Amino acid sequence: MVRCPSCAAPSGTGLVCERCGRPLGEELDCFAALGLEPRLALDGAALESRYHELGRRIHPDRFATDDAAVRAASLRAMALLTRSYRTLRDPISRGLYWLELRGEKLAEDNKTVPPELAEMVFEIQEQLAELGASPAGNDRDRLRGEIEGRRAEVRSRFDRAHRELEGNFVRWDRNAGGQDELTAGLKQALSKIAYLRTLLRDMDRALAAAAEN
Amino acid sequence: MAYSSKVIDHYTNPRNVGSFAKDDPSVGTGVVGAPECGDVMKLQLKIDEGGVIEDARFKTFGCGSAIASSSYVTELVKGKHIDEALAIKNTVIVKELNLPPVKIHCSVLAEDAIKAAISDWKKHRGNAAEQSKKTAAEA
Repeated sequence: MVRCPSCAAPSGTGLVCERCGRPLGEELDCFAALGLEPRLALDGAALESRYHELGRRIHPDRFATDDAAVRAASLRAMALLTRSYRTLRDPISRGLYWLELRGEKLAEDNKTVPPELAEMVFEIQEQLAELGASPAGNDRDRLRGEIEGRRAEVRSRFDRAHRELEGNFVRWDRNAGGQDELTAGLKQALSKIAYLRTLLRDMDRALAAAAEN
Repeated sequence: MAYSSKVIDHYTNPRNVGSFAKDDPSVGTGVVGAPECGDVMKLQLKIDEGGVIEDARFKTFGCGSAIASSSYVTELVKGKHIDEALAIKNTVIVKELNLPPVKIHCSVLAEDAIKAAISDWKKHRGNAAEQSKKTAAEA
């Protein structure tokens, strides 16, 4: 509970004073800034409308004639709101932020790559190296075609991993398996997405380079 | 970002790139990943009966620092006993390659790869020892 610097009322824990409607400008975590309970599963549309609603209430234009402290608080609150919305809007960055809030690091106790995924990464990376080294001609065209086919496969795995993450959010919020299981599961899911994302990026680069030559 | 000259040297001229046969009982394979950036590293160590690392190979797909870290590690561990290799800290790699703070995780990855490869080798040996015990018992 903080005291509102404008009207001195004990004014709750959000971005705005409940009594005088002025911004508080306090540092809050991203969930609190948006007035939300910390939950992994968030409704994107509701999040967006809450962001706009709060944005209207604390916007610096509304306090242009207030004294300097209020104007500064409004700027701070607006920056915090925008940062919070951007962090929570994307499920991956929300998951990473969730770990950060709990003092967890994604890479801690989490260096093992699922063998089947590692195998795929190495296999495809070999193909990409081969593509980069091969001279123009039929062999290269065939290889390019093969890689394009695999790209579609990796893309659909990436999309699936993404959907699984959001599906798991609901389950993890219920926290059936306890905090440790949640953290481990969240780390694994986010790591899998990171490996697939890097692989996709490398495939796109290699294919773009091959198309240029 | 500017890479140090040592990173560039290892990156443009990586040492010991390649693979050993995975099922060779004298080979330990460590596959580790850095989930922050999605880099994946494979380190293989050929280790003799006495636990001395005879040779090393790596394959890393990732940024210059990750490749340089694994390349340097293959040079570093050759000829060392596994106990010495297990004692290698990532800070040695950071110092040698002059890695900036944002790339320290690459050196941690290389340290973890050594540990994973040696533990894989020990597992192989454990299985082999059991197998020979079994064969001896059956004989």
